[in-house]
Amino acid sequence: MPDLPSQWTPVALVADLPVATSAGTVLQGAEVVIWRDSAGRVHAWEDRCPHRGMKLSFGFVRGDRIACLYHGWQYDGAGVCRYIPAHPELEVPASICVPAHAAAEALGMVWVAAAGTDPGSLPPGGAEPLRSLFVEAPLEVLVGLAQAGLPGAGAVTEARRDGALLHLSQGGTRIAAGMHPMGPGAAALHLVLPAGASEDRRLALVTAAAGLRRAAEAAAGTGEAA
Amino acid sequence: MSAPVLWNYDLDDACYRVRLMASLAGVALTLRSVDAYPGAEHRGAEMMALNPLGRLPVLQDGALVLTQPEAMLCHLARTGPRGAGFLPQAPGPAALVQEWLAFAARDLGAAAAARMAAMLEGPGDPEVLRLSARDALRIVEDHLSAQTQRGDGFVAGAEASVADIALFPAFALSRDYGLDHDAFPALRLWARRIRALKGFVPMPGIPDYH
Ligand code: FES
Repeated sequence: MPDLPSQWTPVALVADLPVATSAGTVLQGAEVVIWRDSAGRVHAWEDRCPHRGMKLSFGFVRGDRIACLYHGWQYDGAGVCRYIPAHPELEVPASICVPAHAAAEALGMVWVAAAGTDPGSLPPGGAEPLRSLFVEAPLEVLVGLAQAGLPGAGAVTEARRDGALLHLSQGGTRIAAGMHPMGPGAAALHLVLPAGASEDRRLALVTAAAGLRRAAEAAAGTGEAA
Repeated sequence: MSAPVLWNYDLDDACYRVRLMASLAGVALTLRSVDAYPGAEHRGAEMMALNPLGRLPVLQDGALVLTQPEAMLCHLARTGPRGAGFLPQAPGPAALVQEWLAFAARDLGAAAAARMAAMLEGPGDPEVLRLSARDALRIVEDHLSAQTQRGDGFVAGAEASVADIALFPAFALSRDYGLDHDAFPALRLWARRIRALKGFVPMPGIPDYH
Protein backbone atom coordinates (compact mmCIF):
# COMPACT_ATOMS: atom_id res chain seq x y z
CA MET A 1 0.00 0.00 0.00
CA PRO A 2 1.12 3.60 -0.47
CA ASP A 3 2.56 4.74 2.88
CA LEU A 4 1.06 7.80 4.52
CA PRO A 5 3.37 10.75 5.13
CA SER A 6 4.92 11.02 8.57
CA GLN A 7 3.46 14.52 9.01
CA TRP A 8 -0.09 14.79 10.30
CA THR A 9 -2.74 15.71 7.74
CA PRO A 10 -6.32 16.73 8.58
CA VAL A 11 -8.86 14.59 6.69
CA ALA A 12 -12.22 15.45 8.29
CA LEU A 13 -13.99 17.48 10.92
CA VAL A 14 -14.39 15.77 14.27
CA ALA A 15 -18.09 16.69 14.14
CA ASP A 16 -18.49 14.76 10.89
CA LEU A 17 -17.34 11.48 12.44
CA PRO A 18 -19.81 10.69 15.26
CA VAL A 19 -19.54 7.62 17.45
CA ALA A 20 -20.11 4.35 15.58
CA THR A 21 -19.66 5.74 12.07
CA SER A 22 -17.13 5.34 9.30
CA ALA A 23 -16.09 7.46 6.35
CA GLY A 24 -13.81 7.00 3.39
CA THR A 25 -11.23 9.51 2.35
CA VAL A 26 -8.17 9.81 0.15
CA LEU A 27 -4.81 11.21 1.18
CA GLN A 28 -2.35 11.77 -1.64
CA GLY A 29 -3.82 8.89 -3.56
CA ALA A 30 -4.01 6.48 -0.61
CA GLU A 31 -7.55 5.37 0.24
CA VAL A 32 -8.14 5.57 3.98
CA VAL A 33 -11.11 4.57 6.12
CA ILE A 34 -11.61 6.59 9.28
CA TRP A 35 -14.03 5.27 11.87
CA ARG A 36 -14.97 5.91 15.45
CA ASP A 37 -15.76 3.00 17.77
CA SER A 38 -18.46 2.94 20.43
CA ALA A 39 -15.93 4.09 23.05
CA GLY A 40 -15.19 7.19 20.96
CA ARG A 41 -11.74 6.20 19.70
CA VAL A 42 -10.85 7.18 16.14
CA HIS A 43 -9.11 4.73 13.83
CA ALA A 44 -7.53 5.23 10.40
CA TRP A 45 -6.71 2.22 8.23
CA GLU A 46 -6.09 1.27 4.68
CA ASP A 47 -9.57 1.29 3.12
CA ARG A 48 -9.51 -2.27 1.89
CA CYS A 49 -10.95 -5.45 3.34
CA PRO A 50 -8.34 -8.24 3.34
CA HIS A 51 -10.99 -10.74 2.24
CA ARG A 52 -11.97 -9.56 -1.25
CA GLY A 53 -10.88 -5.93 -1.24
CA MET A 54 -14.23 -4.23 -0.54
CA LYS A 55 -13.86 -0.72 0.86
CA LEU A 56 -14.18 -0.91 4.63
CA SER A 57 -15.59 2.62 4.61
CA PHE A 58 -18.76 1.10 3.08
CA GLY A 59 -19.02 -1.07 6.19
CA PHE A 60 -20.60 -0.43 9.54
CA VAL A 61 -19.39 -0.04 13.09
CA ARG A 62 -20.62 -2.47 15.72
CA GLY A 63 -19.30 -1.75 19.21
CA ASP A 64 -15.51 -1.77 19.09
CA ARG A 65 -15.38 -3.39 15.65
CA ILE A 66 -15.97 -2.43 12.05
CA ALA A 67 -17.74 -4.96 9.83
CA CYS A 68 -17.26 -5.22 6.08
CA LEU A 69 -20.40 -4.58 4.03
CA TYR A 70 -19.65 -7.45 1.65
CA HIS A 71 -19.40 -10.65 3.74
CA GLY A 72 -19.45 -9.18 7.22
CA TRP A 73 -15.90 -9.94 8.38
CA GLN A 74 -15.32 -7.99 11.60
CA TYR A 75 -12.11 -6.22 12.61
CA ASP A 76 -11.18 -5.00 16.09
CA GLY A 77 -9.57 -1.65 16.96
CA ALA A 78 -6.11 -2.99 16.13
CA GLY A 79 -7.24 -4.01 12.63
CA VAL A 80 -7.21 -7.74 13.46
CA CYS A 81 -10.00 -9.88 12.01
CA ARG A 82 -12.05 -11.36 14.86
CA TYR A 83 -15.12 -12.88 13.26
CA ILE A 84 -16.07 -14.43 9.95
CA PRO A 85 -19.87 -14.93 9.70
CA ALA A 86 -19.57 -17.79 7.20
CA HIS A 87 -17.43 -19.69 9.75
CA PRO A 88 -18.74 -18.62 13.16
CA GLU A 89 -16.83 -21.34 15.04
CA LEU A 90 -13.51 -20.53 13.44
CA GLU A 91 -10.72 -19.16 15.59
CA VAL A 92 -9.65 -16.53 13.06
CA PRO A 93 -5.90 -16.55 12.35
CA ALA A 94 -4.33 -13.35 13.69
CA SER A 95 -2.52 -12.90 10.39
CA ILE A 96 -5.74 -11.58 8.79
CA CYS A 97 -5.49 -7.88 9.55
CA VAL A 98 -5.88 -4.43 8.02
CA PRO A 99 -2.81 -2.13 7.93
CA ALA A 100 -3.41 0.65 10.47
CA HIS A 101 -2.25 4.26 10.28
CA ALA A 102 -1.97 6.76 13.12
CA ALA A 103 -5.14 8.76 13.90
CA ALA A 104 -5.70 11.70 16.24
CA GLU A 105 -8.06 14.58 16.97
CA ALA A 106 -6.93 18.17 17.32
CA LEU A 107 -8.39 21.61 16.62
CA GLY A 108 -11.78 20.12 15.74
CA MET A 109 -10.27 17.95 13.01
CA VAL A 110 -9.40 14.28 12.52
CA TRP A 111 -5.74 13.87 11.53
CA VAL A 112 -3.93 10.89 10.06
CA ALA A 113 -0.28 10.02 9.52
CA ALA A 114 1.99 7.02 9.10
CA ALA A 115 1.78 4.55 12.00
CA GLY A 116 3.99 5.63 14.88
CA THR A 117 3.95 9.38 14.10
CA ASP A 118 4.45 11.50 17.23
CA PRO A 119 1.20 13.20 18.32
CA GLY A 120 3.27 15.94 19.94
CA SER A 121 3.41 17.82 16.64
CA LEU A 122 -0.38 18.26 16.44
CA PRO A 123 -1.76 21.78 16.93
CA PRO A 124 -3.13 22.51 20.42
CA GLY A 125 -6.60 23.73 21.30
CA GLY A 126 -10.17 23.16 20.29
CA ALA A 127 -12.44 24.80 17.73
CA GLU A 128 -16.01 24.91 16.45
CA PRO A 129 -16.76 23.13 13.16
CA LEU A 130 -17.74 25.25 10.15
CA ARG A 131 -17.70 22.75 7.28
CA SER A 132 -15.46 20.65 5.08
CA LEU A 133 -15.07 21.79 1.50
CA PHE A 134 -14.22 19.17 -1.14
CA VAL A 135 -12.90 20.57 -4.40
CA GLU A 136 -11.87 19.01 -7.68
CA ALA A 137 -8.76 21.13 -8.05
CA PRO A 138 -5.14 20.75 -6.93
CA LEU A 139 -4.52 21.80 -3.31
CA GLU A 140 -2.11 24.55 -4.35
CA VAL A 141 -4.77 26.15 -6.59
CA LEU A 142 -7.34 25.95 -3.81
CA VAL A 143 -5.03 27.31 -1.12
CA GLY A 144 -3.65 30.01 -3.42
CA LEU A 145 -7.19 31.36 -3.79
CA ALA A 146 -8.09 30.77 -0.15
CA GLN A 147 -5.20 32.98 0.95
CA ALA A 148 -7.07 35.86 -0.65
CA GLY A 149 -10.08 34.97 1.51
CA LEU A 150 -13.46 33.29 1.09
CA PRO A 151 -15.25 35.23 -1.68
CA GLY A 152 -17.42 38.01 -0.28
CA ALA A 153 -16.66 37.34 3.41
CA GLY A 154 -14.81 40.54 4.25
CA ALA A 155 -11.30 41.95 4.17
CA VAL A 156 -8.37 39.62 4.85
CA THR A 157 -6.03 40.92 7.55
CA GLU A 158 -3.92 37.79 7.92
CA ALA A 159 -3.24 34.70 5.80
CA ARG A 160 -0.54 32.50 7.21
CA ARG A 161 0.42 28.91 6.44
CA ASP A 162 1.63 26.81 9.31
CA GLY A 163 2.25 23.17 8.45
CA ALA A 164 -1.05 21.67 7.35
CA LEU A 165 -3.02 24.70 8.55
CA LEU A 166 -3.95 27.93 6.84
CA HIS A 167 -4.77 30.65 9.38
CA LEU A 168 -7.04 33.27 7.90
CA SER A 169 -8.33 36.40 9.58
CA GLN A 170 -11.15 37.71 7.48
CA GLY A 171 -13.87 40.22 8.25
CA GLY A 172 -12.99 40.02 11.94
CA THR A 173 -13.23 36.18 12.10
CA ARG A 174 -10.27 33.91 12.70
CA ILE A 175 -10.67 30.88 10.44
CA ALA A 176 -8.41 27.84 10.53
CA ALA A 177 -8.38 25.67 7.41
CA GLY A 178 -6.91 22.19 7.53
CA MET A 179 -5.27 21.57 4.15
CA HIS A 180 -5.94 18.09 2.80
CA PRO A 181 -4.32 17.00 -0.48
CA MET A 182 -6.33 14.10 -1.90
CA GLY A 183 -4.72 13.53 -5.26
CA PRO A 184 -3.36 15.43 -8.26
CA GLY A 185 -6.75 17.04 -9.01
CA ALA A 186 -8.62 16.92 -5.72
CA ALA A 187 -8.26 18.54 -2.33
CA ALA A 188 -10.24 19.53 0.71
CA LEU A 189 -10.23 22.26 3.31
CA HIS A 190 -11.56 21.47 6.78
CA LEU A 191 -12.75 24.78 8.21
CA VAL A 192 -13.06 25.57 11.91
CA LEU A 193 -13.68 28.74 13.92
CA PRO A 194 -13.06 29.87 17.47
CA ALA A 195 -16.15 29.63 19.67
CA GLY A 196 -18.46 32.65 19.67
CA ALA A 197 -19.00 33.52 16.00
CA SER A 198 -22.63 34.55 15.42
CA GLU A 199 -24.98 32.29 13.48
CA ASP A 200 -25.30 34.90 10.71
CA ARG A 201 -21.53 35.01 10.37
CA ARG A 202 -21.21 31.24 10.30
CA LEU A 203 -23.93 30.97 7.63
CA ALA A 204 -22.21 33.64 5.54
CA LEU A 205 -18.95 31.69 5.75
CA VAL A 206 -20.63 28.38 4.80
CA THR A 207 -21.94 30.08 1.66
CA ALA A 208 -18.65 31.88 0.96
CA ALA A 209 -16.84 28.53 1.09
CA ALA A 210 -19.03 27.27 -1.77
CA GLY A 211 -17.91 30.35 -3.70
CA LEU A 212 -14.30 29.38 -3.08
CA ARG A 213 -15.02 25.91 -4.47
CA ARG A 214 -16.51 27.41 -7.65
CA ALA A 215 -13.54 29.78 -8.02
CA ALA A 216 -10.96 27.02 -7.52
CA GLU A 217 -12.65 24.70 -10.00
CA ALA A 218 -13.02 27.49 -12.52
CA ALA A 219 -9.28 28.17 -12.13
CA ALA A 220 -8.48 24.47 -12.52
CA GLY A 221 -10.90 24.04 -15.44
CA THR A 222 -12.96 21.37 -13.62
CA GLY A 223 -16.05 23.48 -12.88
CA GLU A 224 -19.72 22.80 -13.15
CA ALA A 225 -21.04 20.55 -15.84
CA ALA A 226 -23.81 22.88 -16.99
CA MET B 1 -60.89 1.08 3.17
CA SER B 2 -58.54 -0.97 1.05
CA ALA B 3 -54.82 -0.25 0.94
CA PRO B 4 -53.50 2.08 -1.76
CA VAL B 5 -51.94 0.23 -4.69
CA LEU B 6 -48.42 1.01 -5.85
CA TRP B 7 -47.36 -0.16 -9.28
CA ASN B 8 -43.78 -0.84 -8.39
CA TYR B 9 -40.38 -1.81 -9.73
CA ASP B 10 -38.02 -2.61 -6.86
CA LEU B 11 -34.85 -1.12 -8.35
CA ASP B 12 -36.45 2.16 -9.40
CA ASP B 13 -35.50 5.02 -7.13
CA ALA B 14 -38.84 6.85 -7.46
CA CYS B 15 -40.76 3.69 -6.53
CA TYR B 16 -38.50 3.34 -3.52
CA ARG B 17 -39.23 6.90 -2.37
CA VAL B 18 -42.93 6.04 -2.30
CA ARG B 19 -42.43 2.73 -0.45
CA LEU B 20 -40.20 4.52 2.06
CA MET B 21 -42.67 7.36 2.65
CA ALA B 22 -45.54 4.88 3.04
CA SER B 23 -43.60 2.93 5.64
CA LEU B 24 -42.55 6.06 7.55
CA ALA B 25 -46.11 7.39 7.52
CA GLY B 26 -47.54 4.04 8.59
CA VAL B 27 -49.48 3.33 5.38
CA ALA B 28 -49.66 -0.30 4.20
CA LEU B 29 -49.40 -0.48 0.41
CA THR B 30 -50.49 -3.21 -1.91
CA LEU B 31 -47.55 -3.66 -4.27
CA ARG B 32 -48.09 -4.66 -7.89
CA SER B 33 -44.81 -5.65 -9.48
CA VAL B 34 -44.19 -4.29 -12.94
CA ASP B 35 -41.44 -5.88 -15.01
CA ALA B 36 -39.95 -2.56 -16.11
CA TYR B 37 -36.62 -4.05 -17.04
CA PRO B 38 -36.15 -5.95 -19.25
CA GLY B 39 -39.88 -6.42 -19.86
CA ALA B 40 -40.79 -2.73 -20.42
CA GLU B 41 -44.20 -3.54 -18.97
CA HIS B 42 -44.61 0.04 -17.78
CA ARG B 43 -44.95 1.01 -21.45
CA GLY B 44 -47.41 -1.77 -22.25
CA ALA B 45 -51.09 -1.17 -23.02
CA GLU B 46 -52.35 -1.86 -19.50
CA MET B 47 -49.94 0.49 -17.75
CA MET B 48 -50.22 3.18 -20.44
CA ALA B 49 -53.96 3.25 -19.80
CA LEU B 50 -53.21 3.96 -16.15
CA ASN B 51 -50.36 6.40 -16.77
CA PRO B 52 -50.03 7.70 -20.35
CA LEU B 53 -46.58 9.01 -19.45
CA GLY B 54 -45.39 5.41 -19.44
CA ARG B 55 -43.53 5.85 -16.17
CA LEU B 56 -43.38 4.29 -12.77
CA PRO B 57 -44.43 4.59 -10.04
CA VAL B 58 -48.20 4.87 -10.19
CA LEU B 59 -50.20 5.15 -6.97
CA GLN B 60 -53.90 4.42 -6.86
CA ASP B 61 -55.89 5.22 -3.74
CA GLY B 62 -59.57 4.59 -4.36
CA ALA B 63 -60.57 6.77 -7.28
CA LEU B 64 -57.37 8.81 -7.03
CA VAL B 65 -54.57 7.98 -9.48
CA LEU B 66 -51.23 9.73 -9.02
CA THR B 67 -48.30 9.63 -11.42
CA GLN B 68 -45.97 12.22 -9.88
CA PRO B 69 -43.79 10.90 -7.03
CA GLU B 70 -43.84 14.21 -5.13
CA ALA B 71 -47.66 14.19 -5.09
CA MET B 72 -47.58 10.61 -3.82
CA LEU B 73 -45.24 11.52 -0.96
CA CYS B 74 -47.50 14.37 0.13
CA HIS B 75 -50.62 12.24 -0.15
CA LEU B 76 -49.13 9.44 1.96
CA ALA B 77 -47.88 11.91 4.57
CA ARG B 78 -51.32 13.53 4.71
CA THR B 79 -53.24 10.26 5.04
CA GLY B 80 -50.86 8.11 7.08
CA PRO B 81 -51.24 7.79 10.86
CA ARG B 82 -47.58 8.79 11.37
CA GLY B 83 -47.38 11.17 8.40
CA ALA B 84 -48.35 14.61 9.69
CA GLY B 85 -44.85 15.60 10.83
CA PHE B 86 -43.58 15.14 7.28
CA LEU B 87 -45.71 18.07 6.05
CA PRO B 88 -44.84 21.11 8.18
CA GLN B 89 -47.55 23.78 8.17
CA ALA B 90 -45.69 26.94 9.21
CA PRO B 91 -45.09 29.17 6.16
CA GLY B 92 -41.27 29.09 6.28
CA PRO B 93 -40.75 25.33 6.58
CA ALA B 94 -43.71 24.65 4.24
CA ALA B 95 -42.09 26.84 1.59
CA LEU B 96 -38.77 25.06 2.04
CA VAL B 97 -40.54 21.72 1.58
CA GLN B 98 -42.01 22.94 -1.73
CA GLU B 99 -38.63 24.33 -2.76
CA TRP B 100 -36.78 21.06 -2.17
CA LEU B 101 -39.57 18.90 -3.60
CA ALA B 102 -39.26 20.87 -6.83
CA PHE B 103 -35.48 20.65 -6.68
CA ALA B 104 -35.71 16.86 -6.26
CA ALA B 105 -38.10 16.56 -9.20
CA ARG B 106 -36.29 18.86 -11.60
CA ASP B 107 -32.67 19.54 -10.70
CA LEU B 108 -31.86 16.23 -9.10
CA GLY B 109 -33.40 14.31 -11.99
CA ALA B 110 -29.88 13.92 -13.37
CA ALA B 111 -29.09 11.53 -10.51
CA ALA B 112 -31.80 9.03 -11.43
CA ALA B 113 -30.88 9.40 -15.10
CA ALA B 114 -27.18 8.86 -14.30
CA ARG B 115 -28.06 5.71 -12.39
CA MET B 116 -30.24 4.38 -15.21
CA ALA B 117 -27.48 5.13 -17.72
CA ALA B 118 -24.89 3.39 -15.55
CA MET B 119 -26.94 0.35 -14.56
CA LEU B 120 -29.74 -0.30 -17.01
CA GLU B 121 -28.47 1.20 -20.27
CA GLY B 122 -30.71 4.23 -19.95
CA PRO B 123 -30.31 7.17 -22.37
CA GLY B 124 -27.73 9.93 -22.03
CA ASP B 125 -23.98 10.29 -21.56
CA PRO B 126 -23.19 8.70 -18.17
CA GLU B 127 -20.30 11.07 -17.42
CA VAL B 128 -22.27 14.23 -18.25
CA LEU B 129 -25.16 12.99 -16.12
CA ARG B 130 -22.78 12.08 -13.29
CA LEU B 131 -21.35 15.61 -13.24
CA SER B 132 -24.83 17.15 -13.32
CA ALA B 133 -25.83 14.94 -10.40
CA ARG B 134 -22.65 15.94 -8.56
CA ASP B 135 -23.45 19.63 -9.01
CA ALA B 136 -27.01 19.14 -7.76
CA LEU B 137 -25.90 17.10 -4.74
CA ARG B 138 -23.36 19.81 -3.88
CA ILE B 139 -26.23 22.29 -3.65
CA VAL B 140 -27.92 20.00 -1.15
CA GLU B 141 -24.60 19.53 0.69
CA ASP B 142 -24.13 23.30 0.94
CA HIS B 143 -27.68 23.72 2.20
CA LEU B 144 -27.30 20.96 4.81
CA SER B 145 -23.99 22.49 5.96
CA ALA B 146 -25.93 25.69 6.59
CA GLN B 147 -28.75 23.76 8.30
CA THR B 148 -26.15 22.23 10.63
CA GLN B 149 -25.05 25.73 11.66
CA ARG B 150 -28.71 26.55 12.37
CA GLY B 151 -29.00 23.42 14.49
CA ASP B 152 -31.39 21.79 11.98
CA GLY B 153 -30.74 18.25 10.81
CA PHE B 154 -33.06 18.13 7.79
CA VAL B 155 -33.63 20.27 4.69
CA ALA B 156 -36.72 22.12 5.97
CA GLY B 157 -36.02 22.13 9.70
CA ALA B 158 -35.31 20.00 12.72
CA GLU B 159 -37.58 17.15 11.62
CA ALA B 160 -37.65 15.03 8.49
CA SER B 161 -40.17 16.12 5.84
CA VAL B 162 -41.42 14.74 2.53
CA ALA B 163 -38.66 16.79 0.89
CA ASP B 164 -35.95 14.78 2.66
CA ILE B 165 -37.55 11.57 1.45
CA ALA B 166 -37.73 12.95 -2.10
CA LEU B 167 -34.01 13.80 -2.02
CA PHE B 168 -32.71 10.75 -0.18
CA PRO B 169 -32.22 8.01 -2.81
CA ALA B 170 -30.30 10.25 -5.24
CA PHE B 171 -27.56 10.45 -2.64
CA ALA B 172 -27.95 7.03 -1.02
CA LEU B 173 -27.63 5.35 -4.45
CA SER B 174 -24.92 7.64 -5.81
CA ARG B 175 -22.29 4.90 -5.81
CA ASP B 176 -24.40 3.14 -8.43
CA TYR B 177 -23.46 5.94 -10.83
CA GLY B 178 -19.88 6.44 -9.75
CA LEU B 179 -20.16 9.18 -7.14
CA ASP B 180 -18.55 8.37 -3.79
CA HIS B 181 -19.96 9.67 -0.53
CA ASP B 182 -16.56 10.88 0.68
CA ALA B 183 -16.92 14.45 -0.57
CA PHE B 184 -20.39 14.94 0.98
CA PRO B 185 -20.00 14.83 4.76
CA ALA B 186 -23.21 16.76 5.50
CA LEU B 187 -25.21 14.48 3.20
CA ARG B 188 -23.60 11.42 4.79
CA LEU B 189 -24.77 12.42 8.28
CA TRP B 190 -28.19 13.46 6.99
CA ALA B 191 -28.60 10.06 5.28
CA ARG B 192 -27.71 8.43 8.58
CA ARG B 193 -30.46 10.42 10.32
CA ILE B 194 -32.93 9.28 7.67
CA ARG B 195 -31.90 5.65 8.11
CA ALA B 196 -32.60 6.03 11.83
CA LEU B 197 -36.21 7.21 11.31
CA LYS B 198 -38.91 4.95 12.72
CA GLY B 199 -40.24 2.83 9.88
CA PHE B 200 -37.21 3.20 7.61
CA VAL B 201 -37.04 0.49 4.96
CA PRO B 202 -34.07 -0.29 2.71
CA MET B 203 -33.92 -1.10 -0.99
CA PRO B 204 -31.32 -3.04 -2.95
CA GLY B 205 -28.21 -0.84 -2.77
CA ILE B 206 -29.29 1.01 0.38
CA PRO B 207 -28.52 -0.98 3.51
CA ASP B 208 -30.51 -0.05 6.62
CA TYR B 209 -27.58 -0.19 9.02
CA HIS B 210 -24.80 2.39 9.39
S1 FES C 1 -14.71 -8.41 1.08
FE1 FES C 1 -14.86 -7.85 3.14
S2 FES C 1 -15.82 -9.54 4.03
FE2 FES C 1 -15.57 -10.20 2.01
